[in-house]
Order: sequence, then C-alpha cells, then structure tokens
Amino acid sequence: MQKYILIRGFYSLITLWLLVTIVFVMVRLSGDPVEMKGEIGADPTYTQQLRKDWGLDRPFHEQYASFMVNLVRGDFGHSFEKSLPVSTIYFERLPNSLKLGFAAFIISIVIGVPLGMLSALKVNTWWDSFGKMVALLGLSVPGFFVGLVLIIVFGVNLGWFPVLGKGQSAFVGSEPSTWVTFWFRDWGHLAMPAFALGWYFSGAMLRISRSGMLDVLGTDYVKLVRLKGVPEAIVISKHALKNAMIPILTIAGLNLVVMLNVAIVIEVIFNWPGVGLLLYDGLTNRDFPMVQGVVLMSGVVIVLLNFTIDVLYGYVDPRVRLSR
Amino acid sequence: MNKGLFAFVSALSLLVMPGGATLAQQAGGTPILSGPLVKLDIKPAQIETKRGTPKGTLTVAQHFALDPGWLNPQTHSYVLTQMKYDYLVHDALIKSMPQGVLTYSLAEHAEMSADFKQAAFRLRAGLKFQDGTPLTTADVKWTYENFKGAYAKIFKDKLASIRVVDDRTIIFNFKEPFLDFITLYNGGVSGIGWVIPHKYYEKVGSDGFKTKPLGAGPFKLVSQQAGSQMVFEAWEDYWRRTPGTKRIVVKGIRDPASRLAGLQTGELDLAYGMTGKLLPRVMKDKNLRWDENFTAPWYLLFPGYNEAGSPFKDKRVRQAVSLAINRAFLSKRETQGIGVPWGNWINAGNPDALRGDGKDLPVPEHNVAKAKQLLAEAGFPNGFDFDWYVPFVPYFDMGERILVDLRAVGIRGKLEVLEGPAFRAKMGRGRKGFQGNRTLVQNIDPRPGGAAASIRVFAVCGSPSSFICEPQIEDLWKKHEASVDPEIRNEVLRKIQHFIVENYLAVPIYLNPFVHAVGPRVLPEGGKGFHRYWDTMNAPYPWPWEVWEVKADK
Repeated sequence: MQKYILIRGFYSLITLWLLVTIVFVMVRLSGDPVEMKGEIGADPTYTQQLRKDWGLDRPFHEQYASFMVNLVRGDFGHSFEKSLPVSTIYFERLPNSLKLGFAAFIISIVIGVPLGMLSALKVNTWWDSFGKMVALLGLSVPGFFVGLVLIIVFGVNLGWFPVLGKGQSAFVGSEPSTWVTFWFRDWGHLAMPAFALGWYFSGAMLRISRSGMLDVLGTDYVKLVRLKGVPEAIVISKHALKNAMIPILTIAGLNLVVMLNVAIVIEVIFNWPGVGLLLYDGLTNRDFPMVQGVVLMSGVVIVLLNFTIDVLYGYVDPRVRLSR
Repeated sequence: MNKGLFAFVSALSLLVMPGGATLAQQAGGTPILSGPLVKLDIKPAQIETKRGTPKGTLTVAQHFALDPGWLNPQTHSYVLTQMKYDYLVHDALIKSMPQGVLTYSLAEHAEMSADFKQAAFRLRAGLKFQDGTPLTTADVKWTYENFKGAYAKIFKDKLASIRVVDDRTIIFNFKEPFLDFITLYNGGVSGIGWVIPHKYYEKVGSDGFKTKPLGAGPFKLVSQQAGSQMVFEAWEDYWRRTPGTKRIVVKGIRDPASRLAGLQTGELDLAYGMTGKLLPRVMKDKNLRWDENFTAPWYLLFPGYNEAGSPFKDKRVRQAVSLAINRAFLSKRETQGIGVPWGNWINAGNPDALRGDGKDLPVPEHNVAKAKQLLAEAGFPNGFDFDWYVPFVPYFDMGERILVDLRAVGIRGKLEVLEGPAFRAKMGRGRKGFQGNRTLVQNIDPRPGGAAASIRVFAVCGSPSSFICEPQIEDLWKKHEASVDPEIRNEVLRKIQHFIVENYLAVPIYLNPFVHAVGPRVLPEGGKGFHRYWDTMNAPYPWPWEVWEVKADK
C-alpha cells in the first residue's frame, strides 16, 4: 500500500509540474502585459522600470527558473494588476469561493438527488417526465442567463434579494467575523448566485441519481428482497439507496471541485469576490502571476482530490492497489 | 538677444512689481524667492470653518477591478482613475478643484521665478497626516526625490536641488527652465505632488503602504478586498472641511447591467459609464439622476496615412471620411443626443485646447455628396476598401454605425473587435501598433496636462505612441520646446491644433458624455443641485469627495 501511495503521489507531482509549466508558457504567449497596462504616452523609462519590476526583462529560462524556485517557497509572485502578493489576494478570496461553492453544491444536491430518485422510482410517469424536464433545463440553460433573470425578477423588480457582492461578512474593519458568522451572515447575498451556479449541476445530479437508482433497482438482490415481501420503503431506504449513492457521491465530489474553481461567469454577473473573478481579471489584464497562481491552486485542489480518491479506492478495493 | 535676457524681458512683460517683489497670492503673504516672478493663476482654497458631522454611506461602482496600487502615489500610473484615490486618501500642494484647474491645497502660497528655474511653496500651518503626525516640507522633499511614477523622468532630469527652508517653506531649483513644472506638479495631472509620510512609508514599505495607506486627505482606508472593494471613512480633522459622508465604499463592478441593477435596487449610489443601451433605461427611471460628465472628444486616426499606398494619404480622402460621419445622428443613437458634435480632438477641459463648437474651430459638417465628390477627385470615384476599423473598446456599436456612414460614401471596411488590453497595447505603440496603412482607429483621450500633453503623445514624430508625423508640426514643436515664453508656446499649440484639424490628420466626432448616474440617497434630493459634484474641470470622476452628501444610514 505504501508503494501504491508513493507512486500516486509522484504522478500527482508530475501532473502539477506539467500544469504550471504549460500555464507559464501559455500566459506568455498571450501578449506583453507592460504594453497592455494601457500607459499610452508613457515615458520609455517608466515602461522599462515596470518591465524590470515585473521581472519581464530577463530571458525566458531565467524567468521560469525563478518562478519554480519561488513556487517551492510558496511565493506565487506579485500581481501585476493588483500590486500585492498573489497568495495574499488568493487566500483572501478563497473563503468567498468556498462559501459560494458549498452553497451551490447543497442546492444541486437538494434539487437534483431527491428529484432524480423520485424520477427513478416513478419511472415513465409524469413525475419522471417532470424530472427529465428539470434535468434538460438545468443542462441546457446557461448559468449566466439564469443569473440575469434572477437579478431582474427577484432583485430589481421584486426587491427580494440584493444583486451585488457578498455583503459585509469577513471584512477587516467591520464587525469581528468568526468562521461561524462568515458562513451564516448575508445569506441573502448568497441565494441568487448560489442558485445560478448550482442550477446546471442540479441537472447533472438529477440524471446521475435517476440512472444510478434505476441500475440498482434492476439488480437481482433488490428483486430478491422484493420477492421476500419486504415493504417498498425498506427496499429503497435500506437496500437500494446506499448502492445508488456510490456514483452520486463520486460525481458530487468532482462537481464540488468544479464549482469552487470555475464560477467565473456567476462571479462576474453578481460581482461575487471569489477566485473565479480573480482569474477573469488576471486573464483580461495579462496578469501572469495571478493566472499562474489561481490555475496552480485550482490544480492543486483537483490533484489532491484525485489523489485522495485514488488512495481511498486502494483501501476499499484491493484489486486496485494490486493491479497497479 | 540671448535666452537669459529674452526670458527676463518676457518676465517683465508679465505682472512684476518694481523692486523684485511679486504680486503676492491672496493667501500667501511674504515672498519666498527674490527676483522677478511669473504670475501664477492658482485659485485660493475654499475652507469651511464651520465643521459639521459626516453622515451616511456613499456606495460607488467602479467599472473595472480595483488596484491596491492606486493607494500609493509614489508609483503613480498614467491612468486617471488613480487620481480618484489620491483625492480620497491623500492631498497635494496644488490640485484641480471646482475653483480652478490649479487650486491651492496643502500649499497656501506658490512662486515661480521669471526664468522658470525656481519654484517655491509655503505649506499651510498646522498640517498633519491622518495619524496625527505633522506634515512638513521634509515629506514634500522626500516624496519628490523618491517618486517612481508617471513623468518621474522629466521631474528627475530637470531637478538640480531641493532646499527645505523651514517646516513650511520649500524651494525647487531646476537645471534649466521648467515651464511645465506647475502644470505637471498639479495633483490633477501627476502623482508627484501628493505628499507621502516618508517615515511611515520607509517603515512599512510599498506593499505595506498599499495595504494600509496613510495620507493627509479627507478619507482613511479602513478595509479592502484586493480587486473588489475598498471602504473609506471620513477623517474629521481634514484641514479643509469635515467630509459630508461618513463612509465611502467603492466596489469594482465590471458589468454595466449589474451596475444599473445595483442603482435600481439601492445597493449603489453612484455608478460610472452609464452609456449606450443603458442610458435610456437610466433616463426613464424616476429614481435615478445623471450627470453628462463630458470627458473628451471621440476622434479618428489614420495609422500610416503618410506612407505610399495608403488611401488616406490624400487630404481629400481624410476630409471625405469626416464629411461622411453624421455626428448628430450618431450622438442621438449613442448618447441620446447628449454628445456635442465637436471640431477638435483634444480634451476641451484643457485651457489651451481650441474649442470645437465653432468658437475656435468649426463644427465638422455632414455632407455625403461633397464626400463622394472629394473621393472622385482623389481618384476613388467608386470608393475604396480599407482593411480595418478599430473601435475604442467596448464601443463596438458606435464603430458599426460609423462604418455604415462610411459605406454610404463608398468607403468600405470591416470592424476589428479587440479586447481592452490588446487595444491599449496597440495604441501605446502608435502607428507601429497597426499593420498596413489602410486602417482607421477610433480613440478618445481625456488626459490632463494641457493640449501640449496630447500633442506630445500623438502628434510628435519621436513619441512612442505617435500617429501623426508632419514636418510642419515638428518645426512648430521644436519652437514650443525651445521657448520660455508662455505666450509663444500657447500660440504654437494653437497653430498645431489648427494644422491637425484643418488637414484632417485627426477627425473629431463628438464631445463624449461619460454619463454618471446617482440613486435617490444622494443629496440634495430633487432638482439639479447634485450636479455640483461634477464641478471640477477636466475631472473624469466627481472629485473632491469631501463635498459629497447622502442621506443618513438607517
């Protein structure tokens, strides 16, 4: 098992190294950030100083070496656009993304899983049709459209929810904010962006839940349990549900990671200060350190998650660790 | 006549009292420099002796992400937005205010020697930073000497020495006549005049200063989330007056529809850039009010126009482009008619910019028949195709409308849609930023610093961002740079502006309103009194901030 973990760990590091190298090269192909900072009419001395401050006056290989050395020390560099260390800005924003991501995750589970189960249990009835329609809408109506409609209807016209930002929770200088109050304050600001983000994933969860449950309900052991005369409620809750949840949990975990990292469009529309918005600003302004930092951190989360799943699989299923 | 004598005679032609004393500025009193002085048109500050209590929160939507670097004047960029934060947290010796383009602020008296080789300031008594430490000339000196931002090179190259006479009096000595010193030292033009507490800055460093800035301005930063929000609170000991609002919250909200939604829900009190398709909705909403906030004229440039093979080499073709544009209709579609067809390309807020409303330069006409005739005379009876029309980002609709106008006279091209940073990068490289010589570029440039600043950037051959290169302009510009007589320099600038417009080297369109909208909490309620917040000339944002008033928080 130890060898298995070491091997998986090594592959994870290779993956991360490839990720940062590819991002490092690709951002530099996108243009010159000094020119793009928009200093029309700037003195050449000023732009040269800027280039020097940003380390862009050095040869490519020196920039790469310096970047990798700093990375090992946990230093992602200074944001070109926001003028502060990338790590400071990223970890300041991360709780906001976690809050939005978890809320969207809960919404996707609350909507998708029960409806999916119901759809499977009442297959080919109007419940099933309703569930399939919700899944279709979830997967085909883009989140940004949902967000804009929510803003207009519930924000502007009805005035039920605020339309911008995340409220005052966890701001330095405002009321002291503990982790508890951070998670539960300003839920009104969270409702619409979380729904808009979770909407697409609820459609996916619905379909997975439906198909997972249908597969389990079709197995021999469930048929046997039914033949024995066990009440249907017990068949579902005690025998079918646990097995149906396996693929649901796998997908839910992956969805959570995606929701934490790629809520860019929702964050822009609702001005939610998360890491997605950081990445958006970084890309549009050619902020190399920011893009590198955000992509790397997102990659770390995904790689860690996959590593954890791989290790858990190894523990749960000996065939996995023995076959590798 | 040698230069020194010429300068002296020029100075004598200005208002100089016998015996070498100056026309003292109203608040100044005792002169600092000996010898003849230049008359400076710096307006006195408006100080309110009756101190009120700040109330309420003003929530402002900035139309792009916030940069903590804007809180540090020492690394001041060329971007005008940074001045908004200068006016919030810091203060300058002289700056643009509603009273005038040059208004006394931390300084109560200023002098410039007639040879433009010395400048002197006297600070007000009792000035301090927001932490209570005194603000003295040592801070003014340190700020100048350690400045790394826009125009740093010219300030450093011209400087010979700085003499601190006492805690309130400082003299700048220059190696050569520095006629533009007062213009550039103006806080409304560059960052070098915004005074930094040097001991605090040396202690916390640049990053620390951006996180927790300290200034002498009317508001203190109390919190920020880099890129998304900054919260400022009133500093009630600000020397000029107590700020009207207790708190100002600035949010970076990129999407214009989101900004409008925020205004309509009451989450925002002030939003910038309410133009184009959103403007009719702003105008229709009875709860919202708006200010035109004229910035600068739109204009077209012709990169590579003077090269062989360019269809725009012929002046008649450039004139045809100008005649083709239906400015009144364009203004109506883009700005609901607020935009003013204008005959100059330089920001009208600059005192030395020629007015394009017919007073100095004529309003360009719209004449399709004449445009076609000129094209025929120039050898294009059936019009011609050009490569790209590059609109200023993100005014793509406006670009499409202009293309339609051009097509009506036979000038056919395609719209090139760029993203903001890419467009700015190309503009920064001037003519070299655009391939070929069959391109039209639409630009707007509300830079302060006088007409000379715009000409220096766009119309001088040696400028990295030059689009216009003409021997006649070069000769005039050399004359401008060599002269120490403000009258001669102004005359040269007028000639250059005439030359550029009359030869259609830049084709002005209309004076653009960058509409700002406010919500119902902004005082005074009703009427037009709220327009006073936009009284500062040449200001793209409604500073100063200490005059803003909103309803008290519930």
